[in-house]
Amino acid sequence: MSKDYAVIGKNVPKIDGREKATGAAKYAGDLKFPNMLFGKILTSPHAHAKILSIDTSEAEKLPGVKAVITHKDVPALKYGISPARWDENIFCIDKVRFVGDKVAAVACIDEETCYKALKLIKVEYEVLPAVLDALHAMDEGAPQVHDEYPRNINTEIHQNFGDLDKAMAEAHYIRKDYFVGQRTYQSPIEPHSAVSIWKDNKLTIYSSTQSPHYFQYYIAREFGLKMGDVRIIKPFVGGGFGGKLEPTGLEFAGSVLSKLTGRPVRTFYDRHEMFAHNRGRHKVYMELTTGVDKEGKILGVHANFVSDGGAYTSLGVATSYYAGGLLTLTYEFENYKFDMIRVYTNLPACGAQRGHGAPQPKYAFESHLDNIAKDLGIDPLEIRLRNARQPNTVTINDFGINSCELTACLEKAADISGWREKKGNLPKGRGIGIATGSFVSGAGYPIYRNDLPQSAAMIKVHEDGTAATLYTGAVDIGQGSDTALCQMAAEAMGYRYENMKIIAADTETTPHDFGAYSSRQTLMSGSACKQAGEEIKKQILDIASTIMSLPPDDLDCRLGIIFSKSRPTAKTITFEEAARRFFVLRGPLLGRGVYHVPRLGGTFKGAAVATSPAYSFCAQISEVQIDEETGEVDVCEVWDVHDCGQVINPMQLHGQVHGALYMGVGEAIWEEVLFDDQGKILNPNLGGYMLPTALDMPIVHSELVESYEPAGPWGVKEVGEGATNPTMGCFNNAIYDAMGVRIDSLPLTYEKVWRAMKEKREGKKEV
Amino acid sequence: MYLPDFDYYAPDSLAETCEALERFGAKAKVLSGGTDIIAKMKSGLLSPGVLISLKKLEDLKKIDYVSGKGVVIGALSTHNDLVNSKILNDKYLSVSEAAHNMASNQIRNIGTVGGNLCNAVPSADLPPILIALGATIKLVGTKGERVMLLEDLFTGPMKTVIAENEILTEIVIPDQLSTGSNYIKFGLRRSGALAVVGIAVAVTVNGGTITEAKIAIGAAAPTPIRAREAEKFLQGKTISDDLLAEAGVIASGESKPISDIRGSAEYRRDLIRVLTRRALHKAINEGHV
Repeated sequence: MSKDYAVIGKNVPKIDGREKATGAAKYAGDLKFPNMLFGKILTSPHAHAKILSIDTSEAEKLPGVKAVITHKDVPALKYGISPARWDENIFCIDKVRFVGDKVAAVACIDEETCYKALKLIKVEYEVLPAVLDALHAMDEGAPQVHDEYPRNINTEIHQNFGDLDKAMAEAHYIRKDYFVGQRTYQSPIEPHSAVSIWKDNKLTIYSSTQSPHYFQYYIAREFGLKMGDVRIIKPFVGGGFGGKLEPTGLEFAGSVLSKLTGRPVRTFYDRHEMFAHNRGRHKVYMELTTGVDKEGKILGVHANFVSDGGAYTSLGVATSYYAGGLLTLTYEFENYKFDMIRVYTNLPACGAQRGHGAPQPKYAFESHLDNIAKDLGIDPLEIRLRNARQPNTVTINDFGINSCELTACLEKAADISGWREKKGNLPKGRGIGIATGSFVSGAGYPIYRNDLPQSAAMIKVHEDGTAATLYTGAVDIGQGSDTALCQMAAEAMGYRYENMKIIAADTETTPHDFGAYSSRQTLMSGSACKQAGEEIKKQILDIASTIMSLPPDDLDCRLGIIFSKSRPTAKTITFEEAARRFFVLRGPLLGRGVYHVPRLGGTFKGAAVATSPAYSFCAQISEVQIDEETGEVDVCEVWDVHDCGQVINPMQLHGQVHGALYMGVGEAIWEEVLFDDQGKILNPNLGGYMLPTALDMPIVHSELVESYEPAGPWGVKEVGEGATNPTMGCFNNAIYDAMGVRIDSLPLTYEKVWRAMKEKREGKKEV
Repeated sequence: MYLPDFDYYAPDSLAETCEALERFGAKAKVLSGGTDIIAKMKSGLLSPGVLISLKKLEDLKKIDYVSGKGVVIGALSTHNDLVNSKILNDKYLSVSEAAHNMASNQIRNIGTVGGNLCNAVPSADLPPILIALGATIKLVGTKGERVMLLEDLFTGPMKTVIAENEILTEIVIPDQLSTGSNYIKFGLRRSGALAVVGIAVAVTVNGGTITEAKIAIGAAAPTPIRAREAEKFLQGKTISDDLLAEAGVIASGESKPISDIRGSAEYRRDLIRVLTRRALHKAINEGHV
């Protein structure tokens, strides 16, 4: 970032750092209201069963129980987050579709009574055969998860760009590989909670959400309320990673319980219930076929995927399009066929998780590309440099790329990791791998069709000018948007970060914004905040010109000091003086900003998904040490080089790289949600679901390359999700380099590495 | 996830504790650190009507060296007490290290040695190293007390010989002839992981010859086991790489592991082969580490 900026490009203290570090910050589950009740949801013990009867009479008699509700007490209108497939009910009506499906709920005077009441609800089930294997979900005669979706097909995509047959016919070499991903869960540190208050026809919900807007829209729709009568407030949120983007049973059941009892109701998930609610990463089965010329230049790709969607759609339609859509970003090729089927199964529903749809296909493609490089005798770095996307290009599926420094990322990663010295020269058991990634800087279109701007912002300068409040619908869930947006607003105003206040993510007091997903806020919300700040500055310079008797065009404001650009010795005045004068003469000093995305993308079916005003790019190199006898994988060091445009807050940026990489490390080696043969989760807790610990993290080097994105305010673009995308493929390639074995399913567990080495020794498997 | 109702007692003395256990019989459970039982009660796996807490039995929270007897570890010592004990660090660092590699710091701070043993989970980290060192335990009940080898405590997964009115009060690591001991836990991450397998060895080496070896393995069978064939094989032999490797093969053959979400039986058997060799190597060359 240029030195000319006073506030952006700097490591300012996080605006909520003190509150979080001292424990003063209140999350939804910490909130207390007078007369508040506690609510819990009763869930299904069966993966697939008919509901024959529900008897709530015993539960209702228990002292302390204030309400018991089932599907009879709530709207029957189906909801979802993908409008194409609204397939969920607040409570199951005729049957349950996974272990954890919602059946009833209670509101009680305390948490303990809730658990006792749930045990007293008697549900009679007729157990049905269940679909637990995605690859057999489409079989003739397989049980139907939803009657409306024959053969359990939830989403089917067939896209064809260029002339793949011709490309393959002309290819020097064609290779086909098959890889399998795994189910993972976001595991935010804060469990989902909501406090619902339905009073006098107005519904207010405090919720641990990534998007007050979508909650407001879908909750108003479900209950037939005007959006203006639904207020969603986001308190502090302890992480989302895609798992808190859609309203859950907590908000819907809590609202009805509040309406019936006339009291605030706090509903919440425990860790087990979070795993059951899920909406984590889809398990994708991936077949890739690629044709290349003699030099390893990619001529055409066929991606043929099946994914396990679980019992409901969630964001899975978008996930499915992303899975293939984003594969065209990092490498340039002109012929591409993408086939994808997302099936329903009787398992928890999958949704969007950091890197939405991209990381598993990227794992497959980066492993596949290394196989091709090996077959042709080309260095893995070299084959990537030969195919790397260049700036100002358009992908074959119509995504416009402005800035793109992928080549520079690859070169820098190679330099700082010592790739050229290490490759081929490391001792046995030690290996080095490379992979690339890319991600959208905000989805080009909202989740449900509408013409609202992506973001709007408002700034109100206090009457004496000693503070300014930024009002934004943008959602800080821990990633630091409140801090970055205040920096951007202050920069645009010519003001100081230290004097900024922020009110964010409250549908009643803050302007519209779609929320924290698809890595959109720095670019999109930032654009609106910048514009609002510029409007303040214009007004403050205008009033200053009358005070200073200088033309407004000659004035500027920086860090709260208004000065003449042409006369450095002219007397300056402060922002405070000018702001106060403004209020006295003209009333409140307000600035407004709004950001619309220009129309993006092609016209084919699904063309809207994965469009974005800008795309980040990155290269990752990792070095691993493999225990040749036990298969233990020790990731020693990772080098991540990002092209994320200009940087607003370097420390937060590198924090995002570390966090995204942490999740990638976990998904690469450890994490997998496992089920028994009845569809019950075997590891729904943080003892059994293996997140990496601090001790398991490699040494991380996060570096940047110089880049400027014309579509972003001050040249910014995405960083928060991109660093998750290359990691799994990067580690797999390093393991291959170390031991000559290719692990074709995630996670890359010690046992899988051990088995692959054993099979190689015994000559069972050719790689 | 909520605790079911239960009655709670915290007796002032060992005698009262045993009396309470006798009075409530099968419906009572002992509460020590609580890291296991509370989790099981919350998830509905256990619902004892009565919990009898040992927290007032201060005498059971100690680690002493008693001349002529050995290192005496009170059953209420926490894992971190083992980690930080100067006596253990000096004499049997292998025991401190086994405790250090368990669970997470929060659990090591509250979970107790007695709980870890009485819980009798096949993957528990402390039994193998204590068995390899020939540790004895003392059980006290209403009808008196008895002392036995730790390895005789276990009868199956989560099953022991402890009677309803008995509690485990102390563990004694007797003075050793052995010259080295070591425990290798193979977990799937570096903290907060259960052992996929855990191998403990204690060896007595005299001028290049193994005069005695004890090998105890966790997560290899329904209870912690001794690899007696491998021990016999090593006895009186001259140390060599091949010898230790062969002992690993024999120990692996003696194990009867199961397949579960942490690893297949086949993988576990091979890990036992490799890690037995490594543990022997370490104990022979580095002492009690």
